[in-house]
Amino acid sequence: MIPPNQIKISLITAPEFNLEYLWWLTILFFVLSVIYFVGVFIIRNKITSNNSRTKNKKVEFSPMINEFLFYEDSNTKEEKMNYLNLKVQIRELIKNNFDRDVLTEVLLDLRKDLSGQSQTVLIDLYKDLGLHHNAYEKLGSRKWQVVSSGILELTTMEVDESYGLLIKFINHKQSTIRKQAEIAVVNLKEEGIKYFLDNTKFKIAEWQQLKLLDVLRHKPNYSPPQFGLWLTSTNIHVVLFSLRLIKYYSQNDAEQSIITLLKHKNRDIQAEAIECIKDFHFVNALKTLKLVYSKASHDIKIAILDAIGELGTKAEISFLENLHLTERNFNIKSKVIGTLNKIDPERVLPTKNISKPDFYDVICDDALQEEDLSIIDNHEDIILEDKNADVSTEVDVETTTTEDITVISPTVEENVALNDIEEATVEELIQKDETALDVDEIKKVKSLEDIDLSFLPHIKDEEALEEIKENETVVDSEQVQELEEEEQEVLKEEEELTFSFLPYVVEEDVIQQVTTSYKDDDFQPLFELDDESMEDTQEQSSINPLNNISTNINNGLDWSTLNSEKIEQNKVDINTADSAEPLISFENDNISFTANFMPQEELDAMVLLENISELGDCRELILLYQIIEENSSEVVIERANELIQKFSYQSPRPNELFSDDNDLAESVFTDIYNLADYETKLMLIGEIKKVGDEKEIDLLNNVIQTESKTLVKKATEALAHIKSQLAVVTDHSIIASDEDSIFNVGFELEFNRPTEHKRSVSNENGSTLFDQLCSMSNSLYRKKNG
Amino acid sequence: MGKSVLLADDDQLLASLLNFRLKKGGYVVHHSANGKEVKEYLKNKMPDIIVSDIMMPYCSGIELIDYVRNELKSKTPIIIISSAGNEQNVLTAFELGANDFITKPVSPTELLVRIAREISK
Repeated sequence: MIPPNQIKISLITAPEFNLEYLWWLTILFFVLSVIYFVGVFIIRNKITSNNSRTKNKKVEFSPMINEFLFYEDSNTKEEKMNYLNLKVQIRELIKNNFDRDVLTEVLLDLRKDLSGQSQTVLIDLYKDLGLHHNAYEKLGSRKWQVVSSGILELTTMEVDESYGLLIKFINHKQSTIRKQAEIAVVNLKEEGIKYFLDNTKFKIAEWQQLKLLDVLRHKPNYSPPQFGLWLTSTNIHVVLFSLRLIKYYSQNDAEQSIITLLKHKNRDIQAEAIECIKDFHFVNALKTLKLVYSKASHDIKIAILDAIGELGTKAEISFLENLHLTERNFNIKSKVIGTLNKIDPERVLPTKNISKPDFYDVICDDALQEEDLSIIDNHEDIILEDKNADVSTEVDVETTTTEDITVISPTVEENVALNDIEEATVEELIQKDETALDVDEIKKVKSLEDIDLSFLPHIKDEEALEEIKENETVVDSEQVQELEEEEQEVLKEEEELTFSFLPYVVEEDVIQQVTTSYKDDDFQPLFELDDESMEDTQEQSSINPLNNISTNINNGLDWSTLNSEKIEQNKVDINTADSAEPLISFENDNISFTANFMPQEELDAMVLLENISELGDCRELILLYQIIEENSSEVVIERANELIQKFSYQSPRPNELFSDDNDLAESVFTDIYNLADYETKLMLIGEIKKVGDEKEIDLLNNVIQTESKTLVKKATEALAHIKSQLAVVTDHSIIASDEDSIFNVGFELEFNRPTEHKRSVSNENGSTLFDQLCSMSNSLYRKKNG
Repeated sequence: MGKSVLLADDDQLLASLLNFRLKKGGYVVHHSANGKEVKEYLKNKMPDIIVSDIMMPYCSGIELIDYVRNELKSKTPIIIISSAGNEQNVLTAFELGANDFITKPVSPTELLVRIAREISK
């Protein structure tokens, strides 16, 4: 009989563990749990009983305190006697530490709830009973929380005598003690704030400043010192707090110091000084305000502008107008405009999104041309500015382009008549690149010939199309009629040519550029297609460039298929960074398009390849090779090669599948067997016999060679069984493969000769997927039929 | 026999102190520590004046005013004791029919004067 502690359960490969230790650990854990729960129980009971005792003591003390609080000299003799007795009694009681603590607690609680005469009597009682000595003892404690509670107690009970003891804590390293001491020092004596501001070395938190201010506010008959004295402090927090106190107590006797603080490196101090200047209306600070403006942060700049708005006169307008021209930050610029209007009301009028009066007049042809030219100039100038970073910086971009100002250059004034979309585009461009623009240089660029139009993008979106249609209304009525007629003719003819299979993706800028640039002279053919059959269409559609583009877009012209040859012939320089094949040419105000279409055969081949790509697999490899042989087009060959590569990668070759290196050749039992104990091994061999296949042959052979007799016997049986099973399965499979044409897939997996197959079965190094599937189905079949 | 005062406050120390002061001022004081007790007491007897804290367990001072004014249909003067800065509660109390309020920290003498004034009305 094996003792229970020696039975090994080795189904899993966990390290062996002595059960004896496990028992000891269980007992230890149990004991610790009991100790823990008993401890919790005892502590909880102790706290409860302590609370109960305290409560009872409070009830006991309460009438005594009431007697003390409401004792009057006019009381009767009996009452006086009672009072004296109580006094003696309470003095006896407070000899006990617990009682003394409870009494202190009661008095502190009542101090919070009582006011008036009762509060004064309460504080006197506290001192009279000598309870503050306990608080002094607490100050000497090593525990910061005890020290802090001692300071709080002395502060609450207004023990002025403790001031000398508490001032040393204002620079304590422990922040809680320090903060408590700061409040105590300020609270206990009037000169406490002076001592504190003179001596504190640490930061005064915002919350602490509020608390200190609250203490000062509630001090009866408090006369504040001149806080301007601390504006020279080396502690910036003291300076900041002093500024706030100066502002609170309206002490305007430190004007020069406050103005000097505008130049302080600390932003908070700067901001607080500006607030003081504003509150006290220090007009002398205007000069310094303007001086520090240039190097101030955004917040400070806004504060300064606010102060200038409060204090400034019309003398500051030139300064503000200069800021208006130079300032680029949106918020600050808005503040500048606001300040300008505050000093000089309605100096800056709203111009944003407001059209000029002549915008609503009937637009004559000449005016239209001029306006178009100005629009083109403006657009091109801005884009040029965007492209060429080295444009000189004489005039700020915003001053020449944004419309929310009255002081605008002539070029910009022309732009006021632009529609909202154009304005938005301009602003976006400006925001992206805030570099300045040379107006003189812009003016030089007047004709289309001088402009490098290579920046024109090739695509246009639908929104822009709508805008084009809107812009068409600018053209005079006669032109519109003519254009409409021509457009209809073009549309009729183009119905015969369908480009709907091509996607249309057009970028906004192209259309806008064309829209803004057309005029009578510009109504020339914009582009021509290579296809001869489209020549007639070209003649019609080129009458109106706008219609030309829009109709082609509507027909779904894929510009990406346009050829560059024509453009090269026309010697047009298009320098777009990302377009290696220029599609549009500009010459003598004409824009030409060139397009070459695929030959039909090539197109068919491409369609076939795309279908293969979508639906095909490795079986299409032969066809793909065939396509390569038959076609000479580079595009087709390239695409076919891509697909060959794709399908070759997708389908593992049968040779690879049957190789010895394949994971399928290894038995799943091997790892488990190697880690198992004797009994498990026996069980595993039994399982192998039941469900195993040729992959287990290696393992079984290995067992036969290395293991003990019993295992060898079992393994031999299993091996014989598997081999007999495999022989049956392969016979069936061969017959099935011969009879059924479905399995005749025509690739390398061929079982023409039974001898070869038997050799593969007996091959110790590997197996095939097919064999594996057969053996699995066989074992499943056997299991199902018992 | 003096006027009867119902003192409703869950703070034992303060209640004891006010109780003592009111008794000393010649009033007959009944103290209840929560709203439930107050309601029970009011079903049986209506005091000459009610002094109630706003924050009480089971039934707040606001609910108590509503109970006295709308359910008991009593016009007994009610003085509310509230914490400083609790303006909204005070306004609500007045809307419901409170006669006066006093903020903590309380001056017992001041409370006595206010009670006397309300009773005399």
